[in-house]
Amino acid sequence: MLLPFFEWMEGLAVYGPSIYLGPAVNIVHLTAMTVFLGSLLIVDLRLLGAGLTQQPAATVARDAQPWLLGGLAMLTLTGIPAVMATATLQYNNSVFWVKMYLLFVALAYTFTVRRKVAFASEGRFGSGTMKVVGLLSIVMWLGVAALARLIMMIPANTFEFLVG
Amino acid sequence: MDLLEVFRWMEVNLPGGVYLRESTFGFSILLTVHVVSLCWFMGLIVMMDLRLVGIANLRTPASAVSPKLLPWQMVGFAVMVISGLMLVWAQPLRYFGKTFFWWKMGLMLLAGMNAAIIHLITHRSEAAWDSKAAKVAGAASIVLWVAILALGRLVAYDWMTTEYFVE
Repeated sequence: MLLPFFEWMEGLAVYGPSIYLGPAVNIVHLTAMTVFLGSLLIVDLRLLGAGLTQQPAATVARDAQPWLLGGLAMLTLTGIPAVMATATLQYNNSVFWVKMYLLFVALAYTFTVRRKVAFASEGRFGSGTMKVVGLLSIVMWLGVAALARLIMMIPANTFEFLVG
Repeated sequence: MDLLEVFRWMEVNLPGGVYLRESTFGFSILLTVHVVSLCWFMGLIVMMDLRLVGIANLRTPASAVSPKLLPWQMVGFAVMVISGLMLVWAQPLRYFGKTFFWWKMGLMLLAGMNAAIIHLITHRSEAAWDSKAAKVAGAASIVLWVAILALGRLVAYDWMTTEYFVE
């Protein structure tokens, strides 16, 4: 159903004839991922009762938030042309689709459940709840990063049993 | 002894190397573990460096951010180094011929020295954490690690590559 859209994106040839633009975008994408993950992890570790424990989780989260959003913006800005350049290959790759589904679940989770718990005033949620919320966040986002790296590296049909 | 000879010897003799080179998933999983642990390690390094520079995590003192994050940085570092060594284990000659790989090794040495400098600057007093010198070293750390990441990524392309074979 989306195939014509992906074909259209690839037809735009976003990188033009340049052989340097693709690698440059990948490097910025990866750098943005480290900023995003760093700002995510200091909060998730705090929810787990580790890392910056002299501050309440909400304080750590408030400090980290601009870097989390900035990292995400940069990831989106570089991720879109990266997909456009190889759109039909991505469309036909089950690893890409599993990454996208997990990405949307992780995003929804981060801006609802995790946000509510991380920014809550102290004592509002029990330490057990905070630990589960932090751990889930870490697992999901490391999963997104791992799947992203596996696209085009493991066979395209690897996850076809999951996403048809 | 010639370093190239050492890498040639590794290519032929290291156990498991052939499996890692030729299996569908072995090398891919190794590379993925390397990249994900790098994001973990570098993410926490950058968060610490940005605090040193004085532009992030300002509600926590720099003197507290650094030691508190250190064990978690080291977790990422350990996985990153072990998986990195295994990547070279799997394809010694491929990496030997990559100019970017050697530049990356050189910059990692500099990053290690810079980390030692940060320690030397800051261990003297509480105030030293917010000194000009600490800010400069923090910024240098970010620049070095981004360059290391970029060079690591560039190893994947065939620029500045010499191919060596087992004779």
